[in-house]
Amino acid sequence: MVEKKEHIAPELWVPLQEQEKDSEKIEKPSLTFLQDGWRRLKKNKMAMVSMFVIIVLVLSAVLIPFFWGYSYEEQTLTLSNTPPILKVYPIQDESNDMCIYITKSYDAMEVTHKGELVQLIQPTYKDVITRKSTYDLNGKELVIDYSLYTQALKEYNKLEKKYADKGEVPATAAKYLSHYFGDEAKNTTVSLVEAKNILEEKIEKCSVTYDGNRLTESKSVWNKTFILGSDSLGRDLFIRVVYGARMSLTVGIFAALVNFIIGVFYGCFAGYKGGNVDTIMMRIVDVIDSVPVTLYVILIMVVIGSGMQSIILALGLTYWVRMARIVRGQVLSLKNSEFVLAARTLGASTGRIFVKHLIPNMMGTIMVAIAMQIPNAIFTEAFLSFIGLGISAPMASWGTLCNDALASIYVYPYQLLIPAVAISVTILAFNLFSDGLRDAFDPKQRK
Amino acid sequence: MIRYILKRVVAALITIWFIMTLTFVLMNSIPGSPISTDKVYDVALQEALNEKFGLNKPPLERYIKYIVDYAHGDFGMSYLKVGLTTNEIIAAGFPYSLRIGIYASGLIVIFGVMAGIIAALRQNKFVDRFLMVLSTLGATIPSFVFATLYLFLFSKILGLVPAFGVKPWTGYIGPVLVTSVFSMAFVTRLMRTSMIEELNQDYIRTARAKGISEFKVVTKHAMRNAILPVVTYVGPMVAMVVTGSFVIEKVFGIPGIGSLFTSSVLTRDYTMIMGITVFFAVFLVFCTLVVDILYVFVDPRIKYE
Repeated sequence: MVEKKEHIAPELWVPLQEQEKDSEKIEKPSLTFLQDGWRRLKKNKMAMVSMFVIIVLVLSAVLIPFFWGYSYEEQTLTLSNTPPILKVYPIQDESNDMCIYITKSYDAMEVTHKGELVQLIQPTYKDVITRKSTYDLNGKELVIDYSLYTQALKEYNKLEKKYADKGEVPATAAKYLSHYFGDEAKNTTVSLVEAKNILEEKIEKCSVTYDGNRLTESKSVWNKTFILGSDSLGRDLFIRVVYGARMSLTVGIFAALVNFIIGVFYGCFAGYKGGNVDTIMMRIVDVIDSVPVTLYVILIMVVIGSGMQSIILALGLTYWVRMARIVRGQVLSLKNSEFVLAARTLGASTGRIFVKHLIPNMMGTIMVAIAMQIPNAIFTEAFLSFIGLGISAPMASWGTLCNDALASIYVYPYQLLIPAVAISVTILAFNLFSDGLRDAFDPKQRK
Repeated sequence: MIRYILKRVVAALITIWFIMTLTFVLMNSIPGSPISTDKVYDVALQEALNEKFGLNKPPLERYIKYIVDYAHGDFGMSYLKVGLTTNEIIAAGFPYSLRIGIYASGLIVIFGVMAGIIAALRQNKFVDRFLMVLSTLGATIPSFVFATLYLFLFSKILGLVPAFGVKPWTGYIGPVLVTSVFSMAFVTRLMRTSMIEELNQDYIRTARAKGISEFKVVTKHAMRNAILPVVTYVGPMVAMVVTGSFVIEKVFGIPGIGSLFTSSVLTRDYTMIMGITVFFAVFLVFCTLVVDILYVFVDPRIKYE
């Protein structure tokens, strides 16, 4: 038998590269619970967009007030009720170079060509009966005649009486209609609603005459002084909305904290002790939960007065109920597992078992429940502020901003629209994010 | 069965007692007397008022009188609306709120359930996606924004409904719609989820295999089981409708009990606040109790638990 030896040249013996060591292993790195959930959350585009929106919201609520030029209570009464987009009449000649913005109460406001508000111009003569105001602009005369609308309104009121039963109005019946339709007026009939709509929205409500010539050319510029306009006291709406975000987020964060601290421990204790303690504690929860939380919050606000602190206190006293119930259910199923038994056998205290063993195991459910409670809390705050029980002036919250705008909604709709959009976007972001969180961390609950 | 109902009734009574006590304690812990307002009263008048409202008696005696009076359905005099009892004020306002509440609940259940079924049957198709987007929006936009937009569109621009109050009857449309939006969105989602779950069950496959028409499978088999979670939601739904009324009645100018409550809170009319709170609580607890009892008939399984 001839033994055939294979010779391997000694220079072929080289140590293995460090990274090639594990190349034969078939295994994924083990992920912790949080990493695993995060991986699933990242795949959910809606949730990621919502998370981004929430982060931007938090950052702007915290940072913007530090460097913004106005504070939330700074009033400039002469520059009140300016919309975000101004319709201005440019004036450009040897004595004047500016734009004129006519406010809804027919005053003239000086605006630069870029859209910065300068001042409200003082009229030299104001004739209330013929509805004409005269201004002196460096020697040239500016006249605002706002009788057009009142005349048209008079005509419309006549039409309303005359054609109420017919419902159809020939366009020649009123001057403002025939003027609006021009040559086609003879053959046109409109309904009363349409006639009113034309009166309110379409026709020119005032005429502006400068130096004897009627200004017809107008242009739209962005309001550079108040980028989202100003409210009825001339406060910057943008910074007030940002402050509203601060209020709402504070309330939301606080509700989350309360949920976490009181709700989780109450539920843990009830579920862990079991027996009569559990029954009594859960009856209390049932009783509190059988009447809407808002009602308690209102009662508590009556006692301690309205304001930020009272909203937080009221939420703190009542907002943990649902969380307590969820956590109790989880504890009931977890408390008989081996790891709890092992911990108890080793002599761990009840507190240690809660903090080190039970709560980490319920983290998914707790996180999801908290994320769902935050928009509820924000809603409640907006709701209370809206009915006048929440944040009080001069502080701003989205609810109070909406309520303030309500009085002049038909004239200045942007004042309602801006805070309303802010609330809706925030709630939507939180809702979608908590849905995503639920799908990622608590797949059992998935609906 | 009777044991179950008795248990529920006792729990309801305890809840009502708890809320009455809580309201009493809260309203009596406000510093100062409810009568000492900014207006300057003379001492004799103040004493007469204290005597009239029983404020000079010790708290325990007042508490017992309060419980006894309320048990007899006597909610006392209003502090601020002179000469009117809380009962009269509630009786005047409640019908408006009740009417809106009933119409809204009907709308929520009928449309919510229908939309949920349609979404479940067309799962992940266009109709489903559309309904889900709508219901997400419905749960996102606050009711006061909805109410104002509605008034802006239908009252200001189109002139179809009154901007204030409920005369003519078209004034009811807005409040009912706005009240129901949030819960309708919720019911739609609830119904969709449970309907999808039921449609995947074996007994549905059996029913289909027997050759029953799809319509019957959906209405007679799947829907009857899928509607159970919606029935449980009725309690919270009534609560939503009640709290919603605070805002909606304010925006629409309806003299219902929600706006009465808000105004009595703002004017600090303590007897009114107590009366209306307890009234709300009794109403809510009663509705939940009725649902609990009805549930036994809807879901026979509960009898054997």
